[in-house]
Amino acid sequence: MGRFNDASKAQKSICAALAIAAFILLWFFATNGTNLGVVLAGPVEVFRKFFVSFVQPLGTHTIPGHILWSLSRVMVGFLAGSALGIVLGVTMGWYRIIDAIFRPIYEMIRPIPPIAWIPLAILWFGLGEVTKYFLIFLAAFGNVTMNAYAGVKSVDPVLIGAAKMLGASDRRVFTSIVLPACVPHIFAGLQIALGSAWATVVAAEMVRSSEGVGWVIITGQDTNNSVQILVGIIAVGAIGYLLAILMRGIEAKLCAWSERGK
Amino acid sequence: MSDNIKVKVQNMTKRFGDLLVLDDISFDVKKGEFLCIVGPTGCGKTTFLNCITKLYEPSAGEILIGGEPVNLKKHNIAYIFQEYSTMPWLTVEQNVAFGLEIKGIDKATIKKEVAEVLEIVGLTAYRDYYPVELSTSMVQRVVIARAFATKPELLLMDEPYGQLDVELRFKLEDELIRLWKRTGTTVIFITHNIEEAVYLSENILVLTNKPTTIKKKLENTLPRPRSVVDPAFVKVRNEVTELIKWW
Repeated sequence: MGRFNDASKAQKSICAALAIAAFILLWFFATNGTNLGVVLAGPVEVFRKFFVSFVQPLGTHTIPGHILWSLSRVMVGFLAGSALGIVLGVTMGWYRIIDAIFRPIYEMIRPIPPIAWIPLAILWFGLGEVTKYFLIFLAAFGNVTMNAYAGVKSVDPVLIGAAKMLGASDRRVFTSIVLPACVPHIFAGLQIALGSAWATVVAAEMVRSSEGVGWVIITGQDTNNSVQILVGIIAVGAIGYLLAILMRGIEAKLCAWSERGK
Repeated sequence: MSDNIKVKVQNMTKRFGDLLVLDDISFDVKKGEFLCIVGPTGCGKTTFLNCITKLYEPSAGEILIGGEPVNLKKHNIAYIFQEYSTMPWLTVEQNVAFGLEIKGIDKATIKKEVAEVLEIVGLTAYRDYYPVELSTSMVQRVVIARAFATKPELLLMDEPYGQLDVELRFKLEDELIRLWKRTGTTVIFITHNIEEAVYLSENILVLTNKPTTIKKKLENTLPRPRSVVDPAFVKVRNEVTELIKWW
């Protein structure tokens, strides 16, 4: 079984590498052999600029510097939004009264995309960091709450019954059954939330900032520099991908017992 | 009431709306007895157990355990479901320890008890596995080990082997008998498998179709170890089969 998995893993990696290489080749020929090159920079130029920007600042920071700025904004908003989302989702799922009070409000706010709050956030918090934290907070909070709630709702009643039969109090059922049972759901929510938070930071930085990957992209637009736009986009994609891998790794550790953790 | 009576069911009746499921059922279970309850499919066997455990409130009548009304906080009752109720996020060892932890037993004792029960059900080598990594029969053994580890005064089993193939079922039945003899637990075992009932029980309670009443309580004095092909065994089995026929 293990050998089979290793083989299919290697196969997957090879396929991934080939697909990416094919995509870059297509990009190369499209921008070099056709008029597309006029409006879109080619891969050689873009990757050269990308790596040069590791040492040569774009604006006030190098690319790693911009990435760290964006990541720090994401972390503040994501951690706060996730923490509140887990608490609200789990308690809404378990306590009827909290469900009755908070869910109608939550359901109304949930469908509003975070970027729709940008104008209001600017009026409230100005153009500084707090606005960005707030938007990312909203992005994380919505997803995590939903999943934590669904997690509690989907706890197998057989397990609750079994724990009660063994003499567990309601409190014990909550801490020993409900909470561990919804960890995989919460993790699924955290993954979506992190992706969503990462998308939101770019939007927030494009509105107003002096650093961050969103700034790299929007400045590229302002200076008519498609190379810089693409450098920003590649940074966004690469970091988003790395974050997803990181979350998968943590999940595999914490949820080794579940199908999702496999 | 005699000290020897563990469970006393008096005039138990259960209605769901207009549907009368259990109709005025009364019987006793002696301390340390192994009682099998058999009846036609859908006759309310599970409803019956759920009334004993108070998952449902009986519409009338009462159930006494050791002379007192059922109280799950006080009475040490273990219930093994048809569904596999291991906690997927706990290892085999942690699952078996779970019931003992809830009862607030100290760590050293838990460790000792768990090791002992795991040895009996043959899962010592698998103690660090998660349920998802085990076969269904092993998972059910974890559930049984968890139940016995708490040394229950009453063990309720609801078709626990319904989803297993014959060979595994035989193995687990023997294991159950071993655990029962060792611990002296009172067992109420529900099944629709007549052979299983005759193999395991000291007494067999045969139920009728809905509205369910007791058709007969049958004493099963076959010597152990029993063999399903023994003519005496077959005779008892046929007797129960005749009683259960409703067509």
